[in-house]
Amino acid sequence: MNKFGSLVLAMSLVAAPAMAAYEGGDVKDGGSISGSVKFKGTAPAPKKLDVGKDKEVCGKTAKMDQSLIVEGGNLVNAVVTITDIKKGKKIELKKVQFDQNGCEYTPHVVAFPAGTTVEVINPDGILHNVHSYSKVNTAFNQAQPKFKKTLEVKIEKPEAVEVKCDVHGWMHGWLVATESPYVAVTDKSGSFKLDNVPAGSYTVEVWHEKLGKSTQKVTVKAKEDAKVTFEVAGK
Amino acid sequence: MAERGVDQKEEKKSYGSVFVLGAGILAALSLWAFLDDNITRRPWKGFQAKFYRLDYNKAQAAYDEEDKKLQADDKYKELSQKLAAFQASLADGEVGKKLNSQIAEEARVTVKFQEADQKVKDVKSELEEAWYEHDHAVQQKRKIEPYLEVIAALDKKKAVLDKELEPIREKRNQLKDEIKKIQSGAKEIETELVKMTGERDKWIRVMENVTFKLGPFTFPKIPKIQQVSLDEFDRNRFDQPVARVDRCQTCHLAINRPGFEKEANPYKTHPRREVLLADSAHSPDKIGCTGCHEGQGMAVNGVKQAHGDVHLWEFPLLRGAKVQSSCTSCHQDVQKFAEDAPLLAEGQRLFEQVGCTGCHLVKGYENIPKIAPSLKKISAKVDPGWMVRWIENPHKFRQRTRMPNFDLKPDDALAVAAYIWSQSKEEADQWTQTHPAPAGFREGDPNDIAKGKKLVETIGCKGCHGFADGEFSTPLGKSKDLVPNLKDIAAKVVGPQWIYHWIKNPRGFEPETRMPSLRLSDDEALSITNYLMSLGGRPDPVAGIQEKLADAKNIKRGEVLVRKWGCFGCHDIKGMEKESRIGAELTTFGSKTVEELGFGNRTDVKHTWDDWTYFKLKTPRGYATERIEQLMPQFNLHDDDIKALRTLLGGFRERKVGQRYLADQGLRVQQVVEGRRLMQQYNCVGCHEIEKQGGFVRKYYQENVALAPPPLNGQGEKVQSSWFYSFLKSPTTLRPWLEIRMPTFGFSDEHTTQLVNYFNGLSKVEQPYHYIDDRKFPAENLEAAKILASAEYFNCFSCHVQGGKNPEGPKEGWAPDLAMARQRLNPNWIIKWLKDPQKIQPGAKMPSFYPGGPDNILGGKEDRQIEALRDYLMSIGRGAAPAAAAAPQVPAKAKPAK
Ligand SMILES: [Cu+2]
Repeated sequence: MNKFGSLVLAMSLVAAPAMAAYEGGDVKDGGSISGSVKFKGTAPAPKKLDVGKDKEVCGKTAKMDQSLIVEGGNLVNAVVTITDIKKGKKIELKKVQFDQNGCEYTPHVVAFPAGTTVEVINPDGILHNVHSYSKVNTAFNQAQPKFKKTLEVKIEKPEAVEVKCDVHGWMHGWLVATESPYVAVTDKSGSFKLDNVPAGSYTVEVWHEKLGKSTQKVTVKAKEDAKVTFEVAGK
Repeated sequence: MAERGVDQKEEKKSYGSVFVLGAGILAALSLWAFLDDNITRRPWKGFQAKFYRLDYNKAQAAYDEEDKKLQADDKYKELSQKLAAFQASLADGEVGKKLNSQIAEEARVTVKFQEADQKVKDVKSELEEAWYEHDHAVQQKRKIEPYLEVIAALDKKKAVLDKELEPIREKRNQLKDEIKKIQSGAKEIETELVKMTGERDKWIRVMENVTFKLGPFTFPKIPKIQQVSLDEFDRNRFDQPVARVDRCQTCHLAINRPGFEKEANPYKTHPRREVLLADSAHSPDKIGCTGCHEGQGMAVNGVKQAHGDVHLWEFPLLRGAKVQSSCTSCHQDVQKFAEDAPLLAEGQRLFEQVGCTGCHLVKGYENIPKIAPSLKKISAKVDPGWMVRWIENPHKFRQRTRMPNFDLKPDDALAVAAYIWSQSKEEADQWTQTHPAPAGFREGDPNDIAKGKKLVETIGCKGCHGFADGEFSTPLGKSKDLVPNLKDIAAKVVGPQWIYHWIKNPRGFEPETRMPSLRLSDDEALSITNYLMSLGGRPDPVAGIQEKLADAKNIKRGEVLVRKWGCFGCHDIKGMEKESRIGAELTTFGSKTVEELGFGNRTDVKHTWDDWTYFKLKTPRGYATERIEQLMPQFNLHDDDIKALRTLLGGFRERKVGQRYLADQGLRVQQVVEGRRLMQQYNCVGCHEIEKQGGFVRKYYQENVALAPPPLNGQGEKVQSSWFYSFLKSPTTLRPWLEIRMPTFGFSDEHTTQLVNYFNGLSKVEQPYHYIDDRKFPAENLEAAKILASAEYFNCFSCHVQGGKNPEGPKEGWAPDLAMARQRLNPNWIIKWLKDPQKIQPGAKMPSFYPGGPDNILGGKEDRQIEALRDYLMSIGRGAAPAAAAAPQVPAKAKPAK
C-alpha cells in the first residue's frame, strides 16, 4: 500500500550514540579544502558489461563498468571526507536521489552524512530490487516493482554500503554515509571541494571502492582555501 | 573462754576472691562459648552479616541516586506539592471542614432514611397480611369485598410513604458521593506519584529485606541457614530415591540476583545469570547448586568443607569449565549448548567421531557405527607396501588422520597386514574382475587432469575432502580431519581402476560407506581419476611384499595381533564379525575415585582424576609398568581436544537424577539428538549451514555466495516431509544454476526418516504433511495472484524458473522453479517467506515485496495478497511429479547402522 511507499529502514536507537561524536553548529570564518585526486599507473580500458536481461529497457545504452573510472589521469567517484573533525557546520539532512534509469545506478557513488534518506528512483517500468550489503547498518533487500516509482531507504550509521540488484546482476553502486557533513565525491575532473571548514588541522581521507583508502594531513586557515592533491595508485 | 564448735579464725576468713575468680572464669567461658558457637564455628554468619551490609549499602546508594533524579524532576515536585497541599487542607483547612459537615449531615439523613424506610416496611407486612386474609376468604367462598377495601387503603398508604422515602434516599446517596469525592481527591495524584517513585521505592523493599525493626530501632537481619531441599534428586546405594540438601546460598546470597556481577565471591552474581539461572532455566531455589557444581552441599562450617575440598569427599566443587561435565546428568541434547558448554559439545563430537566408541562401551553411545572403512576388500584398494607402512604408523603418511598409532614393530605390522590382506583377497579379486580398468583412460594427460581438478573444485568434493596441505572442510577438533585429505592419494591406492569405480559408485565397493555418489558421468569420473592419480607420487615398490603377505606364518601371527589390538573396533574385517570391544567400559568413568585409577610408575602426574585423565589421553600407555601392559594407541590429540574429551568423560557418572529434574527427554529431543548424530556422520554441515553452524564449503564461494549450497536453517518448517524424504533418497536438481551437486547418499529408509525427523524436530513441526485441496483456492485469489505475479507487478518469473521455462539472463541470477512449490513447500512457510525473506534467510536474493503491495489488488489488503500468492503457488505445477535424477545402482542390502 502506498502509505508504505516511503518505506524507511531505520535503526534510530542505535544510531544516536554513533553520531554523538560529531557536533554541528555555526562556523565563523570557515575556510575550505579543495583539490583533486589523481590516478597513478595505467588506467584500465573501459569494460563493457553484459546486459543479458530486460534488454529492451536496460540495453538502450551500452553499460560500462563503473567500478574504476579514470578520466585524463583523474580518479572519478572517489569519496573525500574529513575523518577527525569533531566540530563544524551543522548537519542538514537533505534527501538524496539514487536513480536506476536504464538499469544503472546514477550516480554510481552517492555520499552523504549518516541519517540521510535516499530516494531510490525506478523510471524503468520493470522490477528492480535494492539489496544492501551492509554490516554496520541493518542490511535490507527491497523489491521495487514497476508500480513503485520511488522507494526510500535511510542509512543511519557511517558506512560505505554496496547496493546491488539481484534481478540485474551487473547493477551495483555505493551509498556512502559519513559521520560529519564534510564529504564530497570527485567529479569527471577528479576534483572536489569541502567548504565551511573551521580553521584547524585535519586528516582528509580518500576512499575508492576498488583502490581503498589513503589520507593526508591538511591545515585550514580562516576564510582561505587549502589546496590538496591526492595520488592514488592502481592495484 | 573458748566457745564450743566455732572457729573464730575460720569464721572471719573471706572467700570473696575465690568467688570473684570463679565468676570471672565462668563469664570468660560463657563468652568464649558464645564466640565459638557464633563466630569460630559459624563462619557463614560472618559472610551473611557482611553481605547484608553490602546489600543495604548498595540499595541505599541506588535509592539516593533515584531520589536525586526525582528531586530534579519538575513534574515530581509539582505533584508532591499538590498532594501535600491537599492533605493539609483536608486535615484542617476548608476541605476538612466541608468534609466533616458532610459526614455529620450524612449521619442525620441516614437516621431519617431508616425511619421512613421502616414505615414502608411496616405497611408492606400489613399488606401481606391483608392479602392472606383475602386469599383465605376466597378459598372458604366468603365475601371478598371487605378485604379488597382494606388492601386498597393500605396500597394508598404505601404510595404516600414511598413518595416520602424517595427524596430522602436521593439526598443520602448524594451526600455519600460527595464525601467519596472529597476523600478520593488525592487518589489520582497518588497513583501518578507511585508510578514515578516506583524505581526508587523498590530499593526500600531491598533494604527492609536485610533488616528488621524493633521499636524505633533498625537492626541487620539475623543470619540464618539458607537451604534448598531437593526431594528424590539422588538415589542411594539401594537405588532408593533420596533428597539432596544444598546450603550453598547461605553464603552465595546474590547468585541469582542481578547487580552483583562485579562483586567478589561469595557475593558474585552467577555468570550469564539470565540464561543459565533466572527462573526459567536452573532456578537455584528449585534445583540447588550442587546438581551442577558438586561440592558438599550441606556443609557450612568452612569454605573448604562446603566446597568438598576435603579428604574422602568424592565430589569436590567443579570449578570453571569443569562444570560443563554435569550437563549430561539431565540433558540429552548437549550439542545445542555450543555457547554455554562449548567444551562438552566439542568433547562429545570428538568422542563420537574420533573413534573412542570402537573400543569403549558407554551407555547411550552403543549404536555409533564403526568410523573407519571396511577392510573386506582392502587388497583391491590399496598398495600392499603402503598398507604395511600405514599400519606401522599412520601419522607418518597423514598427520591428521583419525587412525591412531599403535606403535607396532615392523614385523608385527607386516603380520597384521598379512592377515587382513589374506582375509580380503577372495572378495577383492572378485570385485576387481567385475570392475575392469576403464576404457579411454588417458593417464597423465594434462588437459584431462586440469578438467578433473576443475570438477573436484566445483561439484562438491571439497565439501568434505582437502586436496592440499592444511585444507579441510568440517573441522574435527584442532588436530584431526573428519574426512581424509587426498593430497597424496596416488601414493596409497592400487591404481586408477579402483579410484574410477569407487568415485562412480562408492556403495558398489563398500555398501555402508558414508562417501556419497555425485552422479558422475563416465567422462567426469575418468577426469577426476586422472587428477587424483596426479596427487602425490606412486608408492615405492617393496620387494617380495606379496609373498610376505601370503606367508601362512605371518597370517597366523597377524590374526592373534588383530585380536589383541582390536582393529575390528573401527574396521569391518572378515572373520572378526563376532569380536566385541576390547577397551574398558566408560559408562561411569567420571565417578572413579583417585584410588581406582592406576598411576603406574609415574611420579610426574598429580594424583587427581583430572590429571590422570589428561595424561591418559596425552600419552595413552604412560601408566604401563613392566607387569601391566597397556594397549590404548596414540591419537596425537591437541591439548584443547584432550580437555574437551575430558569434560565429556567427567560427565559419565554413576548417577541417576530424579525424573522430575530431567530436562525434556521427550521423543522430539531424542529425534533431534539421533538425527544430528547421523547428519554429522554424513557431514551435511560440510556443505550446508544447519542450526546456524557449518556450511564450511562456503569459504570457496566468497565471490558469489549465491553459487554455494543453500543453508538449511529452518528446513523442517520450510518443506513438506514427504517431498524431503524423496529428495534425500534421490536428489533432484532444484537450482540448475549451481555447479555443486547435492550427492546421492543412498540412505536407508531408517536413516532418511531420522534425518527428516531431525529437521522437523529442530523446527518443532507439528504437522509434517500437507494435503492441497484445489477446490479450496478462491477463484478471486488465483486471479489476483496471477496479476500480482505478472511483469506489471512483482514480475516473479523475472528470476524464478516457471515450470521448466527458464528466465532471461545468466544462470546465477535464477531462482527455484515455482512449479515445485506445490510438492515441495509448506504453504504456511510461503506466507512467512513472502512477508520477510531476510528474516528467514539473511542475505537472501529474494527481496521483500511487503510492506509495499499495490493498492488496487484485493482492496490493497496485504495479508490477502500474500495469501493469494500462496494459493497461486500451491495451485501451479499441479500433478507435476519431481523428476528423479539418475541415481547409481545402490545395493539393496544397505542395512541401517548398528
Ligand atoms: Cu535491476
